[in-house]
Amino acid sequence: MNDMRLTERTVDTTEIKIAARKVQVYYGATHANKDVDVDILDKTVTAFIGPSGCGKSTFLRCLNRMNDTISVCRVEGEILLDSEDIYDKKVDPVQLRAKVGMVFQKPNPFPKSIYDNVAYGPKIHGLTKNKAELDEIVESSLRKAALWNEVKDRLDAPGTGLSGGQQQRLCIARAVATSPEVLLMDEPCSALDPIATAQVEELIDELRENFSVVIVTHSMQQAARVSQRTAFFHLGNLVEFGETGQIFTNPSDPRTESYITGRIG
Amino acid sequence: MSIGLLSLIVIALAVAGFLIGRARALSKAGGDIRRLHSLPNFYGQSVFLFTAVPALLLMAAWLILQPMLIEARVSGMITAADVPEGSSVGLVMSDVRRISDGIDLILSQGDLSGEDVARMRADFSDVRSRLATVGVALGADVKPAVFEAAKAYNSASSSGRLMMSAAVLAVALAGMAFALSRTTADFRARNVSETFVRALLIASSFIAILTTVGIVLSLVFETVHFFQLYPAKDFFLSTIWNPQFRGGSDLGILPLLWGTLYVSFVALAFAVPIGLFAAIYLAEYASKKVRAVAKPLLEVLAGIPTIVYGLFALITVGPMLRDYFAQPLGLGTSSSSVMTAGLVMGIMLIPFVSSLSDDIINAVPQAMRDGSYGLGATQSETVKQVILPAALPGIVGAILLAASRAIGETMIVVLGAGAAAKMSLNPFEAMTTVTVKIVGQLTGDTEFASPETLVAFALGLTLFVFTLGLNILALYIVRKYREQYE
Amino acid sequence: MTMHATNMGNSLYKTDPLTKRLNAAEARFRIYGMAAVAFGVLALVGLLTSALGTGVSAFRQTFVEIPVMLDAAVLDKSGNRNPEEMAKITTIGYAKVLETAMVAELTERGLLNDRVSAKDAGGLISKEAPAQLRNMVLANPELLGTTVEFRALANGRVDGFFKGRVTMESAALDSNISPAQLELAQKMRELGLLSVSFNWGFITGPDASELRPEAAGLGVAILGSLYMMIFVLVLALPLGVAASIYLEEFAPQNRFTDLIEVNISNLAAVPSIVFGILGLAVFINFGGLPQSSPLVGGLVLTLMTLPTIIIATRAALKAVPPSIKDAALGIGASKTQTVFHHVLPLAMPGILTGAIIGLAQALGETAPLLLIGMVAFVRDYPAAPPEGFLDPAAALPVQVYNFTQRADPAFIERASGAIIVLLVFLLAMNLLAIILRRRFERRW
Repeated sequence: MNDMRLTERTVDTTEIKIAARKVQVYYGATHANKDVDVDILDKTVTAFIGPSGCGKSTFLRCLNRMNDTISVCRVEGEILLDSEDIYDKKVDPVQLRAKVGMVFQKPNPFPKSIYDNVAYGPKIHGLTKNKAELDEIVESSLRKAALWNEVKDRLDAPGTGLSGGQQQRLCIARAVATSPEVLLMDEPCSALDPIATAQVEELIDELRENFSVVIVTHSMQQAARVSQRTAFFHLGNLVEFGETGQIFTNPSDPRTESYITGRIG
Repeated sequence: MSIGLLSLIVIALAVAGFLIGRARALSKAGGDIRRLHSLPNFYGQSVFLFTAVPALLLMAAWLILQPMLIEARVSGMITAADVPEGSSVGLVMSDVRRISDGIDLILSQGDLSGEDVARMRADFSDVRSRLATVGVALGADVKPAVFEAAKAYNSASSSGRLMMSAAVLAVALAGMAFALSRTTADFRARNVSETFVRALLIASSFIAILTTVGIVLSLVFETVHFFQLYPAKDFFLSTIWNPQFRGGSDLGILPLLWGTLYVSFVALAFAVPIGLFAAIYLAEYASKKVRAVAKPLLEVLAGIPTIVYGLFALITVGPMLRDYFAQPLGLGTSSSSVMTAGLVMGIMLIPFVSSLSDDIINAVPQAMRDGSYGLGATQSETVKQVILPAALPGIVGAILLAASRAIGETMIVVLGAGAAAKMSLNPFEAMTTVTVKIVGQLTGDTEFASPETLVAFALGLTLFVFTLGLNILALYIVRKYREQYE
Repeated sequence: MTMHATNMGNSLYKTDPLTKRLNAAEARFRIYGMAAVAFGVLALVGLLTSALGTGVSAFRQTFVEIPVMLDAAVLDKSGNRNPEEMAKITTIGYAKVLETAMVAELTERGLLNDRVSAKDAGGLISKEAPAQLRNMVLANPELLGTTVEFRALANGRVDGFFKGRVTMESAALDSNISPAQLELAQKMRELGLLSVSFNWGFITGPDASELRPEAAGLGVAILGSLYMMIFVLVLALPLGVAASIYLEEFAPQNRFTDLIEVNISNLAAVPSIVFGILGLAVFINFGGLPQSSPLVGGLVLTLMTLPTIIIATRAALKAVPPSIKDAALGIGASKTQTVFHHVLPLAMPGILTGAIIGLAQALGETAPLLLIGMVAFVRDYPAAPPEGFLDPAAALPVQVYNFTQRADPAFIERASGAIIVLLVFLLAMNLLAIILRRRFERRW
């Protein structure tokens, strides 16, 4: 763990964006998350770490109700986004997902042009009045995703023709284009090579200026590099949650320590 | 107002509703679509759907129910004396409908006014020739009561039609007004129109169930009708099939069942070994090149319509079997025979057995083969002792599906097996099957309500029950098998 | 499985007897497999050659070409060219004109002798020809009084003679034709009065009665089949796709969904004739729709094709990777938007391929159509849609069946010819499906 850059990073705000209380997730008969309490702060990168199957991705997918698409999945407890319960009956999950965007493990651009990939979200949410505004959003999103310079001359080329790292940044641009308030990232770098990973990590740090980012990762180095706060999941439980520096240097739970030093996982 | 015009008006209203709804939503949001819950088009869509769908549904229901109600009322006006010898109330009623259509045509040409028609009496004026001028040809002169019934039918349907137009338009306008009144910036138009779309999707998937219900009801209903005219015991147990035009027929199903099963047996006796060996060869032995050519060629056999096989049986296989086998061996002189139909049907079934078996054999995990080769077994030993036993349930399912095909096959047996209902063991004799007789009894000239016609429904029900049983069993086995290796 | 325990210690270079025996068994097994495949392929070849061998000749037909003097005194007695009055002359009058023309031409060429009477000479021409001549004259009354080169269909037996179906020996026993007539036909052919050429009438013409196989065509049947296919395409494709979308993307996993699924896989295996019974009982007897109309045929074939289309569509929808759906949902597209914007367009090639295959299956289906009255003898072309959907029509495969039910062996040639037309259509549709698949198939 020599290469971990545990620089002191201050958490900019203390405003709570998402508050989860006593969240239980069931997959059929399996109890995938037990009693999870997490506060996601605004304009902060929060990392979820833990061994495979520990429920971190499941919990992430609860935050924008992607789990709704799985019929056997059931969520209990309370998840508040800006003090509103996102599982309230009145909430339209579609509206929620426009506010809480998501980037997936494998880059999954639509088999359309680069432009259409980014423009799709603004189009279906009616964010623009005319083509000029749409062009503007596409450009600024691609700039935010650090992809603009690479693709500005071929916006009509298919998104699937980009390299893996570019595809993932395209997916990030696509998620950013709907101006979400929170960005969920489910192991966004696991399908990428080290160079592409570095680019995406740099990008995540920049995104923090505008959004609250939640990232699930397998790599503890990555968590240490990009996040300000870290949550450690184990067997469906949230074991420990706090400042990243503190979790990695001075974990309070023995399970966290074992994982970080490489004994579980 | 014609139905086409009415539908067009409803659609036009709906399109107008779409535009108004869209514009209204935009104006509610002060021209800024960001303040709307959904995209403006969704507001338009929800108005469109509320305008068109209930109105069109009402129209469809009205069109189905109105003739039934009027029919019931008008047929009361026809007495037994008005029904000619050898005809039925149903036929007279169809005349009534045609005369009524004719009256519409006369009115539309404008030669006569509605009052003229109301005064027209069949016993005074020549209704038949008057109708002939508008292209409605009638077989005989029109009886007074029939003409009166037709007039009643005509006026009831035209007033019904008028009421329908009014009701449909009212519903369309009400739907539009309702949907427009709900159009506000916060109205969840997308959710509403998506719920509508989803309802349409669900309705489409209901068609499958409706079809099955329709099949079962039509079969059961007419079969019950048949058993009221003909004892069920004789139908199921009699060994004689001898329908007569003048009643007194023997309608025993046993010879037909025998023919069906015999032909299917012969067909499977050809198709199963050939199909299975072909599948094994293609899955385990054939080089990539051979497989790439032979597999699609065999599958072409499955895509050829059965009428082509039927003709093949009639003009090629039948005469060949007769000239080279049946006659030299003294077994018969008929070119249509169980053997002819069975052989040709066997060819048709080869791809069924082979491609299903091929899939199933390929689903057996490679690890099982490796295990066997690792012990020094040859390829054929591996196939016989490892792969086939593992794939057996799936293959049995495939064979059952093929059997169900064979039992229900019609054109090959119509053209290849013959029409004589016999219970013989000689495969070179002509025999007949359930499907042949369904075609025979329902394409003949006998009256519909006679047992000779209705027996076709009882035969159809028997066929349906047989194949249903085989299908369900086969699908169950194949599904279980797939789960095992998935 | 045989353990080769006895081999222990022997050289691997020498094949031991057990292995030899095993190898022989292996070779036998292999040969059985090859024989089975060969049998299947040979059967296909036999099937196709049988149809081609007997059917190709249906596309060529014998025609008699003679100058015909359209005698105004016979064909327009009043002489005022009034079409209504001219229509009163029936085909019998035209048959006389044709016979006279034939005799005149043959006498000029010195072909008539005492063995061939004027009636025999006229008998070489099809009974359909007078009707064709009549139509020609009625359409164009100015032709009266002139001499036109008329191409008349030859009698079916004469046609059969040139195609090898009728021989001098069979003609001697035939009351419809005599060897002398055939000799005359042979001479006429040598003189170019009689020729065999491509027969458009077979493809475009209507069916003809039992006694005039030479005039029987497939026009009405092709049109009827086309109408039904339009129906199937317009009804079955949207319904099938909608049902599949529901089942694949929206339906909750419960008993009801299970019921629908079992239903669909069962309907796919229900014998086609049962759908005919359904059509007869529900659409014709209960619904009061007209018999032998493309409407009823189309409805029955739609119900029959639905399961095929649903099964193919579901497979195509399933093949769209879930990551695409996640992507759309993740940026806030609704389920419906996800399906209609992303999943459906990506599944389209697969859906279309399935639809074409279902359509091909419907095109070749015969049995259910027999039950809904399509066996009726129909000579009139159905009107243009939509009224035409209610007119009686034939269907291509049913026409094949009808031809096989007629006594004259010339109809066997027609039946096979009709099969060739049917197979050409099917081939075209399948090729289209293959091209679609090749061109748009996307590997994930």
